[in-house]
Amino acid sequence: MSRSPMTCRAALAVLTLALLGNAVAGQVPMSEYERALLAIPVSSTERFVAAIELGMSQADFPAAEVLQLIDRLAATPDSGPEKEALLLHVVAALEEGLPVDGLVTKGLEGLARGIPVAQIEQSLHQRLVLLAETRDLLYAKGIFSVAPGSPQSVPTALPTPRFNLLVTHISDTIADYLEGGGSPFEGQTLYQEVRFRLTSLEGATLVSEDVDLVLKRIEPADLTRVALSAVT
Amino acid sequence: MSQNDFNAVLRDSLRQEVSEAAAGLVGLEERIVAELGERRPQLRISDWLRQLLAPTRGGRIGQLSLVGATATICLLIGFFVANQVGLTDSTPGIRLTPTHASDGNQEVLFVLPALDAADVSVVGSFNAWEPTALSDEDNDGIWMASIPLPPGRYEYAFVIDGRWWGQDPLADEYVQSFGEYSSVRYVGGGDGA
Repeated sequence: MSRSPMTCRAALAVLTLALLGNAVAGQVPMSEYERALLAIPVSSTERFVAAIELGMSQADFPAAEVLQLIDRLAATPDSGPEKEALLLHVVAALEEGLPVDGLVTKGLEGLARGIPVAQIEQSLHQRLVLLAETRDLLYAKGIFSVAPGSPQSVPTALPTPRFNLLVTHISDTIADYLEGGGSPFEGQTLYQEVRFRLTSLEGATLVSEDVDLVLKRIEPADLTRVALSAVT
Repeated sequence: MSQNDFNAVLRDSLRQEVSEAAAGLVGLEERIVAELGERRPQLRISDWLRQLLAPTRGGRIGQLSLVGATATICLLIGFFVANQVGLTDSTPGIRLTPTHASDGNQEVLFVLPALDAADVSVVGSFNAWEPTALSDEDNDGIWMASIPLPPGRYEYAFVIDGRWWGQDPLADEYVQSFGEYSSVRYVGGGDGA
């Protein structure tokens, strides 16, 4: 049975559009994640898949890097429960609506350095706590996030990707500071570290007004409270 | 002649003698210099160098220190001038500051001197910590790679023959990660970029 040239062209166009759509969105087919998760394996694939689908609805979801993390984790000789515990931090962040870029990058770095999975998991746990605490701090300071395109009710309600970048960089700075042996009680030093990080990215990935807003509203004591939450 | 008259004559003659002698001293220095003229020794560069390196009471160390200090000052002036005129940036093939590409990315140069290395690569948050090879085309031990990166903050380390090295002298800052150092580059943006 032969198909008409018109039908073939239409099918080709649909296929091309589908492929282009995937490429533009930077997304990875869900089947790829399912395949990678089976290799770990995880106790509840459904929970992981649901969390990843949730993440894919965010514009800043690092789809390819998440798949790389699962793939590389599967290839390590560490135990299945340890690998799952590590991935659960990423899942928990996605379920909470927190940005996972920093967690995924740190996980990939740890695996590349040959660090035992249990040690990477501890680092990600601390970073997850800091992400949540930092987001709560910004909320408490009247800085909110709104979905892109939504009407901005107050001037301090930032589009979610911009808000997430602030959360990522503030919490990462605190995490790096603590990992480098810094004391959470040195709020002034912490504030200077955060200030340097944010101003260095001003105009690059961060909007100047957002940086000014954060630096005006947070205080050294706030950062000490956030840092203490990760070490206690 | 009374004693008083004798004293007056003696005083007058002494005054005259002193004033004549003083008149002879006027312009004495100029006359001596003029008379010496070409007979003055001319200090040539070779004589100056010999003098500089000649043993002194303090030995040659003092003189050599002077040479070293002079060389250091010249070097510092050279570096300052090169920095002011952007000499490093204009050298073909060696551009240490990021250059803008049309797609918004910036070409960031990673450079590492590793004289005896057989394989050098860079791993970082920009390549999911997967090695990107550096090349040493002229075998001078200077390894380089130019990587296009969008604006942002990137942690990275070099891998030299399988060993990680996270302290790039060109980094904007360093962080400790899993007990080891990582270098950080800011691409685009504010202070650190």
